[in-house]
Amino acid sequence: MSDQAPLDTRRSRNRLLVAAGAVIVVATYAYLVVAQPAGMADSGTTRAGLIAMAGYVIGAVLIAAGSIHQLPTTTIAMIPVAIAVNIVVGQLVAVLGLPVYLDSIGTVLVSVLAGPAAGVVTGILANVIWGLTLNPIPLPFAVVQVVIAVLAGTAARIGVFRRVYLPPVAGLVTGVAAAVVSAPISAFVFGGATGGGTGAIVGAFQAMGQSLLASTTLQGLLSDPLDKLITFTVVGILLAALPSRFLQRFPFAREHRVVTTAPLAPPPSPSE
Amino acid sequence: MIQLADVSYAYPDSGRFVLEHVDLRIEPGTITGVVGASGAGKTTLAKILSGFIPHVDGGQLSGSVVIGGRDLSGLPLAACVSQVGLVIQNPFNQISGARYTVRGELAFGMENLGTPRDEMASRVAEVAGLLRITDLLDRSPYELSGGQQQLVAIASMLVLRTPVLVMDEPTSQLDPVGTRMVFGVLSRLRGAGTTIVVFEHKPELLHAHADRLHVLAGRRIAASGSPGEILSDPRTDQWGVSATRYTRAARLAREQGLVPAEAPLPVSFEQAAAFFGWSARTRPPSPEDAR
Amino acid sequence: MTRAQFVGTGSPVHRLNPVTKLVALLSILVIVFALPQWWVSAIVVVGVLLPAAVIARCGGPLIAVGGRILLPIVVVLVLVQGLTFPGGRTMVWQWGVLSVTAEGLLFALNVGARIVCLVLASVLLVLTTHPGDLMSALTEAGMSPKFSYIISSTLQLIPAFRSRADAILLAQQARGLAVPRNPLRRIGVMMPLLGPLVLGMFTDVEERGTAMEARGFGSTARRTALEAIPDSTAQRVARWVMPLVAVAAVVVPLVWEVL
Repeated sequence: MSDQAPLDTRRSRNRLLVAAGAVIVVATYAYLVVAQPAGMADSGTTRAGLIAMAGYVIGAVLIAAGSIHQLPTTTIAMIPVAIAVNIVVGQLVAVLGLPVYLDSIGTVLVSVLAGPAAGVVTGILANVIWGLTLNPIPLPFAVVQVVIAVLAGTAARIGVFRRVYLPPVAGLVTGVAAAVVSAPISAFVFGGATGGGTGAIVGAFQAMGQSLLASTTLQGLLSDPLDKLITFTVVGILLAALPSRFLQRFPFAREHRVVTTAPLAPPPSPSE
Repeated sequence: MIQLADVSYAYPDSGRFVLEHVDLRIEPGTITGVVGASGAGKTTLAKILSGFIPHVDGGQLSGSVVIGGRDLSGLPLAACVSQVGLVIQNPFNQISGARYTVRGELAFGMENLGTPRDEMASRVAEVAGLLRITDLLDRSPYELSGGQQQLVAIASMLVLRTPVLVMDEPTSQLDPVGTRMVFGVLSRLRGAGTTIVVFEHKPELLHAHADRLHVLAGRRIAASGSPGEILSDPRTDQWGVSATRYTRAARLAREQGLVPAEAPLPVSFEQAAAFFGWSARTRPPSPEDAR
Repeated sequence: MTRAQFVGTGSPVHRLNPVTKLVALLSILVIVFALPQWWVSAIVVVGVLLPAAVIARCGGPLIAVGGRILLPIVVVLVLVQGLTFPGGRTMVWQWGVLSVTAEGLLFALNVGARIVCLVLASVLLVLTTHPGDLMSALTEAGMSPKFSYIISSTLQLIPAFRSRADAILLAQQARGLAVPRNPLRRIGVMMPLLGPLVLGMFTDVEERGTAMEARGFGSTARRTALEAIPDSTAQRVARWVMPLVAVAAVVVPLVWEVL
């Protein structure tokens, strides 16, 4: 396929894909929130669901396609492990009945080690795997993982993971963004009913006189920030535990001094 | 021919060399064994010979690595891997997981390189026959035992037919029967002109199959020679290289003054028989003889 | 249940080109979201999905898997929107402070029918298509082999990973570790459990990457496939017709409104 194209064209094509995907996602959100399509209020027979679904899914596909081509093989090899961590930990947490999801630890870890592009691919494909194995419900939410990955990667780049107390803050911010971005899907595709507990909370907000979109947004704001706070904290702890030689393997982590500010060991010179 | 000249290497940001001033010359169409204690840098040397250092691992590599007349550092990784096949130590990690059957797993590398479909099928059948895994072809690679996975891992490289094969402990999970079979296959490949470098520590097999041994100790090649010379060298313990049972027995006999101190130590059974002076005539009497 | 749920019955639905089935799924989704009345979804479910499931001999698993996913969602949807729908005016039933509105129920019906359609169509695709075949077909259609690698490798890694997780969980319980009731303390208990699990998996990554490169994963050659993917002229035509129908479902109502 187009992998044979010269490096420069490929690179600009990838940037174009990511940019187009991002524009579509932002435009979709803006349309759904600002132009609050009429008709939803009486029967749920507007095209808001189509727009939310199509905009987010097409955006996610473009971003994933543009991102994956930039990734070296070591990073590609890491992504299945990260997705398995997302899913197995997510299930474990659900079985233990914890009030959070913790289903994006792998996504955040990859974003921090290998950069946001790798995290984006991890997050989107994690939702695809959910769809292939357990449940297609998370599929339309794939774009939320893009937001998580980009914010986690950015946080790593500016040095959040060098300090113990900063990851929870970055997690909180990411959680707010995730809640906001996922709200239109919860509202217009699922009518607020993505699960038992969350559905009840959406109902409570509606009973207080909030609109459907406002209710799903508020519901997200109740659970996502705490969830991402814990996720980012867990990742911070894992990073401290990973052997430093492993961390050095990732150009992103090395280049941006993601974990430590300590200076590099000086290059040795052979004896004799 | 493979030629390493004055090769030194340090992993990125490690501040210390794992190999220093390594010189190595490997003739085409031979089996070369590299032995040494664990941690002596065997895996590192395997990666240098296959171009993964410095292409993938980075770090600081000096000196030259020339394979088939071309310096690996000047070749892109894709060209290196078409010259040199690398079988890594842990077969579980060699299995890509990209395919759901052993058959698909064996074809994975050929698919990546664009081998035509008919050619792929015939190479899979041929290599599976050689390594006696034909009955595993339709099973999932993850349902296999460690030994079976190791055979699949080896087969997945053999199908690529690279002129050079570097193998990092290719028989670690195999039973003695499987180990002998793998070395038998390697000898056949050598006969067909493949150059094989094997990082292995089973001395009997190295003695039976390798043309030459190199000892990796103290970050460099401490000794090179025929398997007989290396395995009977008094420094094997110091190098962390295991000697054959015959050499060990002979050494004990010598320490206890049972044999002359100057006789060269045996490596194989035949040599041991001569060393200890066993023959049909010296056979101890058995109850049957008395009858 | 984390394995792909593929049920291989070898039916005609199974033997379709996976890309044909994926295009059908996407077309169906566009149609039911573009025509958001409940009866459109109902027609699709009764007229397309259930007959396809019967032909595929997957009716039982489809109802079981689909039901498990859908039941909680539909119940919550009807209860919550029936009771609290913001646009609800027409009271159908009242009991104390609780009142069910017709608008709320209609909303739940319209949204719920689409979700049923979405879930059943996706589950049917998964039940009748081996993930490996889906990935090969998509790779042949031009998708990056990197996607295919990640999906297939993850699907096979998860069972291995789960058994490690179960082993650790069992070991913890064998040491007499009780799961505390306080959620925050429970997270504290989880940490020593998660740590070794995640670290062990990540330290293998380096070798896996090396092994893949050694087998030409980074090659720029045009890839070939060991197995041929079944296809037919009829399916090639269908792969053009179905998206056209979906586009029509979007465009025709728009034109209708304008006129």
